[in-house]
Amino acid sequence: MTDAPAVIAASAPATGLAARRGPGLAVVTGVAAVSAYGPGTGALLSGVLSGQPAFAPVQRFDVTQRRVRVAAAMPGLPDLLSEVTGAVRDACDDAGLSPSQRARTPLFLAIHGDPAMARAGRPDQPAHGPEAFTAAVAGSIGLAEQHIRCYMSACVSASSAIADAAALIARGQAERVVVAGGYLVEPDQFALFDAGRVLADDGQVRPFSAGRRGILLGDGVGAVVIESRQVARMRRAPVLIRLAGWGRSGDAYHPCLPHPEGLGLARAVVAALHRAGLAAGSLGYINAHGSGTSHSDPAETNALRLSLGDAAAEIPVSSTKSLHGQALEASGILELIVTLLAIRKGMLPVNAGFLGADEGCRLSLVLGEALATTAQFAMSLNSAFGGANTALVIGLP
Amino acid sequence: MTAAPVTSGGLTALQAAAAAAGLTVLSSASWPEEEDSEVTPLAGFIDSNFSPLVAEVAGRALRNRAGGPVQPQATAGLTAIVLVTALGDITSATRVAAVVDAGTRVPPLQFFQCVPNAVAGYLAARWHLAGPVACVSGTSAGLDVAALLIDDGDADDVLVVRADLAVNAGQRDSGAAILVTRLKPSAEGGS
Repeated sequence: MTDAPAVIAASAPATGLAARRGPGLAVVTGVAAVSAYGPGTGALLSGVLSGQPAFAPVQRFDVTQRRVRVAAAMPGLPDLLSEVTGAVRDACDDAGLSPSQRARTPLFLAIHGDPAMARAGRPDQPAHGPEAFTAAVAGSIGLAEQHIRCYMSACVSASSAIADAAALIARGQAERVVVAGGYLVEPDQFALFDAGRVLADDGQVRPFSAGRRGILLGDGVGAVVIESRQVARMRRAPVLIRLAGWGRSGDAYHPCLPHPEGLGLARAVVAALHRAGLAAGSLGYINAHGSGTSHSDPAETNALRLSLGDAAAEIPVSSTKSLHGQALEASGILELIVTLLAIRKGMLPVNAGFLGADEGCRLSLVLGEALATTAQFAMSLNSAFGGANTALVIGLP
Repeated sequence: MTAAPVTSGGLTALQAAAAAAGLTVLSSASWPEEEDSEVTPLAGFIDSNFSPLVAEVAGRALRNRAGGPVQPQATAGLTAIVLVTALGDITSATRVAAVVDAGTRVPPLQFFQCVPNAVAGYLAARWHLAGPVACVSGTSAGLDVAALLIDDGDADDVLVVRADLAVNAGQRDSGAAILVTRLKPSAEGGS
């Protein structure tokens, strides 16, 4: 097995490993999600374990001018503020947080922005800014008015917020944070991705597969309550999962393409494993970034080989974007929740849409049907424009 | 030009937030300065000042570093990028919404520049800044994220860039950038 720290030594010379996490333990005590499979974590889990992708012709807005006309969207016209607020409320309820506990808990929210902002008159646009949106969510739930944060870091927004929340808790700088993210398929981002010719024109997302054609957008709203294990124990809150490790890195390569050798993502993976105190072989599942594009999937494969060594060929991998779609700023939280639900259930979702092996993407993919597992630890990966990468490692309580 | 920058005192606010977070400012810059009239265009980014503004003010801060400018391709440490903006590239977002509402096609170059991470990726590649990349709203949040990335060991220093486009006729676009780190006690003369 390749020694994972060698990757750190090769690519991150100045950062001391001893300082890579605080002494505390961060755990998840509440969770909520909404996806194209419907409202609730139950619908999300049964949807992804069915192996049936949620993609369908877009009915929510006019796509007649678009090259691709498919997404994974809920029926009707859901409202982002209502959906995010509902998910945050449900996660707080799931965690059993009292009004006074909520009032001391900040919200970190990952969103692209208020959908109304671009169509508001210029002087009114600040009132539709991300901070105002985040404050509105926090205010409706009775969360803290201070220390609200809005993450707009593209497809690592939510995963970065989760990593930061875990780090603050591990370092004793916060006892609890609610992290949420939301993206509902809408006409502007759909038009942009269509113009960029990155949407899959065959109507399927096929991560790591020969013949893959690109991404498809999907609805995703999620919220988790993250708190210190000590605080959770004191209030006798059941622990759903441990946030064992996290890593964040940059590629320093290109505005929107990943480093082809996966150097940045490999550093994030190694950092997450170090914080978790785990060897690569301890991972029982990886929910890959797996966007389904020609550039990104081989780069991610290289990152996994570089960071995990021989274990990369053994660990079951799937990209659940092949099922629920790409939820942009909310991807990191939707996919963490899928990963959490999967290892708690002991069933791993498939990597859907697979047509055949690509020599540049040789991984141990979950194919055909959901795979039973006894995995204790799993990892969720995300990469974004700007060469931003995150890795989150979770473990059963 | 009598118009005021949209974020008045952006650099002062960044410096104050850095001090509150216990971070040391290695270099700084702002836009507009006295001689500035128009933001220098940035190849590959069209129809909006947002990304060029970020690139210009960040480049100034990196060149202004005490002890000599940051050298592209330097590998001494990991520098993160934290972009702070209230509304992001509101010019591009508004333009895309208008094109969509008109039922016409979006220019392909708009695809990536509408995400603030894209210009951060440009900066990272241009200056070889291989630390994490984040974009948040709010100066205090930005410096809190910067401090956490350093304390948590994912970055040695952080380039924090604040950029805001004017939303009213009487305003100018404005930007500020600081390169921050946390000096170890011995490096601060035992203080």
